Amino acid sequence: MSKEIDKAKIKAAVKRRKRETYKPVVPATQLGFIHHNVDCIGCRACEIACKDKNGLAPGPRFRRVSYIEGGVYPDVYAYKVNMSCNHCAQPACLPTCPTGAIFKRASDGIVDIDSTLCIGCRRCEAACPYGAPQFDPGDNLIKKCNMCVDEIDAGRKPYCVMACMMRVLDIGPIDEISDGSFQTTAIGPGDMPVKQVKNMADPELTKPSIRFIAHSKGGVQSKQ
Amino acid sequence: MSDDNDFNKLIASSLNMGRRTFLKSSAAGAAALTAGGGLLKTDKAEAQTYEPYPTDNQMETVVTSCAHNCGSRHMLVAHKKNDVIVRLSSDDGRYQRDGCYGKDTDEEPQLRACLRGRAYRERIYCPERLLYPMLRVGKRGEGKFKRVSWDEALDFVAKKLIDIKEKYGSQAILDQSYAGSSYGVLHKSDQIDGLQGRFLGMFACRTSSWSVPSYQATTTSSKWTFGTIEDGNEDDTFAHSKLMIMWGWNPAYTFHGGNTVYYMRKAKQNGCKFVVIDPLYTDTAATYDAWWIPIKPNTDAAMLAGMAHYIFDNNLQDQAFIDKFVQGMDAGTMPDWATDSPNGKENFKDYILGKNDGQPKTPEWAEKICGVKAADIKKLADMYATTKPAALKACWGPGRTDYGEQYNRMAAALQAMTGNIGMLGGSAEGVGKAWHAEGAAYPYDQYSNIWFSSIKSDRWAYIVNNYPNVAREEAGLWPRQDNLDGVVPNIRGIFWQGSNWLNQLTNINAEMDAIQKLDLVVCLDQTITTSGLFADVLLPICTHFERHDVALPWYKGHYYIHRPKVIEPLGESKTDFQVFTELAYRVGNMTGMGDKFGEVYNTKATRDYWNNPDPVDEDYLRTWWEDRVMQHQHVEMPWVEFKKHGVYKMKLDRPHVGFQDQIEKGIPFQTPSGKIEILCDELARISDWKKTKYGYHIPSIPKWIEPFESLNHPTKTKKHPYHLITPHPRHRTHSIFNNSAILRETYDQEITINTSDAKKLGITTGDKVEVWNDRGRLVVPAYVTQRCMPGVVSIPEGAWIDLDKNGIDRAGNPNMLTADTPSPAGSFAYNTILVNLRKTDLQHRAGWDETSVSRSHVFGRDI
Repeated sequence: MSKEIDKAKIKAAVKRRKRETYKPVVPATQLGFIHHNVDCIGCRACEIACKDKNGLAPGPRFRRVSYIEGGVYPDVYAYKVNMSCNHCAQPACLPTCPTGAIFKRASDGIVDIDSTLCIGCRRCEAACPYGAPQFDPGDNLIKKCNMCVDEIDAGRKPYCVMACMMRVLDIGPIDEISDGSFQTTAIGPGDMPVKQVKNMADPELTKPSIRFIAHSKGGVQSKQ
Repeated sequence: MSDDNDFNKLIASSLNMGRRTFLKSSAAGAAALTAGGGLLKTDKAEAQTYEPYPTDNQMETVVTSCAHNCGSRHMLVAHKKNDVIVRLSSDDGRYQRDGCYGKDTDEEPQLRACLRGRAYRERIYCPERLLYPMLRVGKRGEGKFKRVSWDEALDFVAKKLIDIKEKYGSQAILDQSYAGSSYGVLHKSDQIDGLQGRFLGMFACRTSSWSVPSYQATTTSSKWTFGTIEDGNEDDTFAHSKLMIMWGWNPAYTFHGGNTVYYMRKAKQNGCKFVVIDPLYTDTAATYDAWWIPIKPNTDAAMLAGMAHYIFDNNLQDQAFIDKFVQGMDAGTMPDWATDSPNGKENFKDYILGKNDGQPKTPEWAEKICGVKAADIKKLADMYATTKPAALKACWGPGRTDYGEQYNRMAAALQAMTGNIGMLGGSAEGVGKAWHAEGAAYPYDQYSNIWFSSIKSDRWAYIVNNYPNVAREEAGLWPRQDNLDGVVPNIRGIFWQGSNWLNQLTNINAEMDAIQKLDLVVCLDQTITTSGLFADVLLPICTHFERHDVALPWYKGHYYIHRPKVIEPLGESKTDFQVFTELAYRVGNMTGMGDKFGEVYNTKATRDYWNNPDPVDEDYLRTWWEDRVMQHQHVEMPWVEFKKHGVYKMKLDRPHVGFQDQIEKGIPFQTPSGKIEILCDELARISDWKKTKYGYHIPSIPKWIEPFESLNHPTKTKKHPYHLITPHPRHRTHSIFNNSAILRETYDQEITINTSDAKKLGITTGDKVEVWNDRGRLVVPAYVTQRCMPGVVSIPEGAWIDLDKNGIDRAGNPNMLTADTPSPAGSFAYNTILVNLRKTDLQHRAGWDETSVSRSHVFGRDI
């Protein structure tokens, strides 16, 4: 993408940003992800659907399926943790942005970036404990998952969710996912969603809008 | 405000939010907006991460499907602007009859594409796309070509063909067509009877290749045992199994069917127990929380024999089932003629109990061969014999070995002795082909599969390199009833259509020697490939997004997907059908046949097909739909409506289970005896093996036969102590998509090594490893893990070779190491390889040009 930099616009934005005090946006409904760590076959159809949807060259990966394995031969285990942007209740990226390009939608809590304001400084990339902001060197921009806002606004679900061959990745109001009232194929009979899995940054840092069905060896005792 | 309301309604309906929640959130939303106003920019953004950015609703939507050669076939939905496909999505329930967004029932589940399908734009717009006809100007394999006109390219091919046929006769051209990425009912590339076979057969100069690389062990076994390769269940039946034994089966990588992995999740939720027998702890094993039984490669038949022994020994076999449906399982089910037959005197039970050879095939005996503890063999045998319904799914990988057919036959014997055949939740797979699709919209008549010799596919290089000193059994010649019977072909030319066989068959070094000896090498493909580099002529073929066709599942699933021409063909690319039709006209006019050849080859077309194929293609497809699909399969949806929907999902009266009618209604099996033939009629009656296509002796009952090399080999393991397996990768379909950088980003071409072996060799993950045996050498990065059996290493097949000046493949294609010695039944020995390895400083090259990137991401944005 050829980007024309509007220097005056960015200057004005920085000035405004400095004047403002950050106050968390409390959305009407916070949407979030749910992923089943065990029943996921780890095929990465979601990753490629996301790359294709967002027109990404090799390099930036909005969605990342991590493979975790452990045990000693032949008693081994493996599971997947699937994460993109967690659209946190208190996003660490947002206050770091010098131009205020990062914003949180009041309607559904989706965290997005206004690309005309992004200067590619990568501060948000450093701040995020989950590796969500991805630097695109081609465009000199930070890009990340915006939960396919265009699809959400059209009444559909994001590309990654609709790509899942196993139907183990879904989005929904995070409160309902947490308390089990949300109807979704991602949660199987008897499964209990958890906030944190092993090797994942403490959710208390940013209150990420994501829940998991954890592997028996991949769970973490939640602090709450 | 009305906009907001609409948005909230939409979101509510799509996210299952009840009306109450919806009202609550709308009100709260308004409040939040007020509270947040003036502080931060919280209103709807004008610009987002990826502006400029056409949304799906701003583009034209066209339903089509993927079309590469895996066992699956899924829906792709192209979102296009002008003549460019901007992005792809998949089935979301909207397109089928009575469909709506989100519809996803067990009966008509969504056909969601995998990562390979979703990356298809990477193939359409890749820098490796062939856009113009080209002629070789350098040495074969050097990769130097010049662009020429279609006229020049086709005349060159036509003249060469005529010349070769005149000089060398009707066997001189080797047909190596394969399912490449052209699998459809009309534009079919196929090893046996596709468009190329029709052309060369009608031209009367064709040597065909009969053994199928993927699964020849399995198809041969199923034909012997059940009389058909359609031994499979539809994937929804898996949800009814109580025990699922996945033998060498990793559908988490291969997918293998419309919704196979998804239905098995249902089985798991229903309480099904899973067992995986594999040298690797696969993602399939992890997902289904399976009992993993690591096994030495190429010893599966021995373990199965050990299980059979336990079952007989404890009298756990389903004797009533055996007596009624099986031939040759035991003394009581032996046919009378067998005692006088040249090769069929022994029954299976006697073999297992060691009545004749004095060696009972006990679990303890099997343990010494396969490395699985006797206690585990007994436990699994007990589980399988006492759980009903239980599915033993004997997949293809363990059959891609020396004597691979014995593994598949042994598995079939276990399926039969436990009576798990023809029962919902059981399995006779095997091949696994289930529902029968109507497969041919192209002209299919007496000219469809004419050949003048037919060889075991991976013997071609041996034949060329050693001609005329080649015996018929070495070539694996299919018998004929005329004077060409037993005549080993003098192969002078090769035609590749949708086929990268130079890269994909065994022993690439032998193939590279052979290819230099030929007079003509023609490659029809969508992209340049490893094989293409060795061609004299490159003919650019358009992708299935650029022509009209219908997709059919061939492995599992019961549906058809319409494939309209989504965009115009890129560059000067044409369809295979156009190329062969025009070649037929040219050859006909050069040989005095006039237009006759072309008219008979493509019966509905005139020569104008070259310029305007669309009305003819439409005619073929409509006729096929109306005469075959609607007539034979009782489909009522008219062609025009099918085209409008883009997909037709069949509703079956009952879950499709292989051989259900044979068991429930007593319909005879399609074998000579009408029974499940554990003693195979055909094999039992053979005395002169050289005159068969097998060439060498095969026992008429399943037996354990030592392969030419394995971890049990007393001497070969000293020089090459590791057994290499070469399974299918997840991020490629064989060699298709190896050039996609975004798929290469998801997985590396790597060698999987057990931690203890790696420690011995001083190798850690990411180190470059040189792997070699007497047949070749390659370099790949290492992945060190506890998930691999010690002594076994694994490299996925399909990387495009990239040789350095010493002939070492830096891309890491394991066919540099495989042997071109098929088993008697024709199974390729892809997984019978001993190697050695060491850490190296040599560099690995994952892609030919690491910096080359598909233009697809550009079309996703700046349009």
